Amino acid sequence: MRISAHGLDVDVPSGWEGRIREQHLPFAPAGSHGTQFRAHAVLHAADFVLPEERGDFGSGAVETMQPGHAFIALVEYGTSSVGTALFASGAGMPRHLRPDDFNPRQLQRTIPGQAGTQRFFVEEGRAFCLYVVLGSMAARGHVVPRVNAVLPAIRIGPPVPPEWLEAM
Amino acid sequence: MTALDGIQAAATVLLGLLVVGLLKSHADILRQLHELGAGRGEEPRGPVPVDLAMGSSSGAKGHDMSGHTPDGEAAAVAVLGATHDTLLAFLSSGCLTCNGFWEALGTGGDLGLPAGMRVVAVTKGTGDESGSAVGGLAPAGRTVLMSTQAWLDYEVPGSPYFVHVNGPTGRVVGEGTAATWAQVVGLVSRATADRRRSRADGIDQELTAAGILPGDPSLYPTSPPLTGDHE
Repeated sequence: MRISAHGLDVDVPSGWEGRIREQHLPFAPAGSHGTQFRAHAVLHAADFVLPEERGDFGSGAVETMQPGHAFIALVEYGTSSVGTALFASGAGMPRHLRPDDFNPRQLQRTIPGQAGTQRFFVEEGRAFCLYVVLGSMAARGHVVPRVNAVLPAIRIGPPVPPEWLEAM
Repeated sequence: MTALDGIQAAATVLLGLLVVGLLKSHADILRQLHELGAGRGEEPRGPVPVDLAMGSSSGAKGHDMSGHTPDGEAAAVAVLGATHDTLLAFLSSGCLTCNGFWEALGTGGDLGLPAGMRVVAVTKGTGDESGSAVGGLAPAGRTVLMSTQAWLDYEVPGSPYFVHVNGPTGRVVGEGTAATWAQVVGLVSRATADRRRSRADGIDQELTAAGILPGDPSLYPTSPPLTGDHE
């Protein structure tokens, strides 16, 4: 199953679910008055049922994970992040992760037994955070290969033309 | 004059019978249309006649689904290979009979279905349905997918329509329509119980074919039970 939206595309393997949505972040273009909002993309993929209510980094979903499950979040940041130190790896999105890349301390929210990893990068001129959660640190040797089967199926397109929203 | 009066009276009676027949036929047509949901949004006065085929296993292969949620997320929903069964509720925003199902799906919990079963409401895609109309009906927290392709893949004849897919086998184990959510629950529960009984019968037959009958010593453990002191 392939889904595409907001300049992201993923070929979701059987047994996995996928979602792509946009979030609206405040942005202040030069010379503007007041706050404007610009759309940024968020992609979620998981090998379990994705709840409808989810935070960008998986809150609401990771709590339902079983030990053998995996959750992937790809969260876009504003263009002003491009070129900053956090996103300066220059390597683009990692399409292969190692079991040793995962650590309970990299979780956005610590849940006993789980492990995560975060990578910040720029690809196609867009700044992203790739955040992956494993249901079990102990099972990472079995779960990470399945994550690595999904990561190459994620494609990042060029920046989507800005869609300025009305000032709030 | 008497003969003419008689002819006129007979013609009047015939015309009267013709008019009464036409009115009755017209009333029958209107009543049937009304029961099928035609009209200006009035609720049907009685139960809608439905075809209850749920529980009859078609054995057809299921399909994973992709489309959009009512609030615009691109979405892929896994049906095949899941550890749980999935009940697909094909609904629409304009069908009066569907109203009761939208309300039932909003009651939360397991909806009376067998434990672990996932329910996904599926409407046609944004080219055929209004996202805002579906969004207004979509129960909070329930997965609602807008996908015309899913309707085509499952060969849905109209709404409401329900398809029960067994996750591990990826096969359709029951499908059909119903008038109330209680009917759906009853039919799905019976089909699930029948499937479990059939599986147990199959195991019994395999054991019997292998010469293992009830009471056979090989059915019972011979090693001493673990006491919990052993790791």
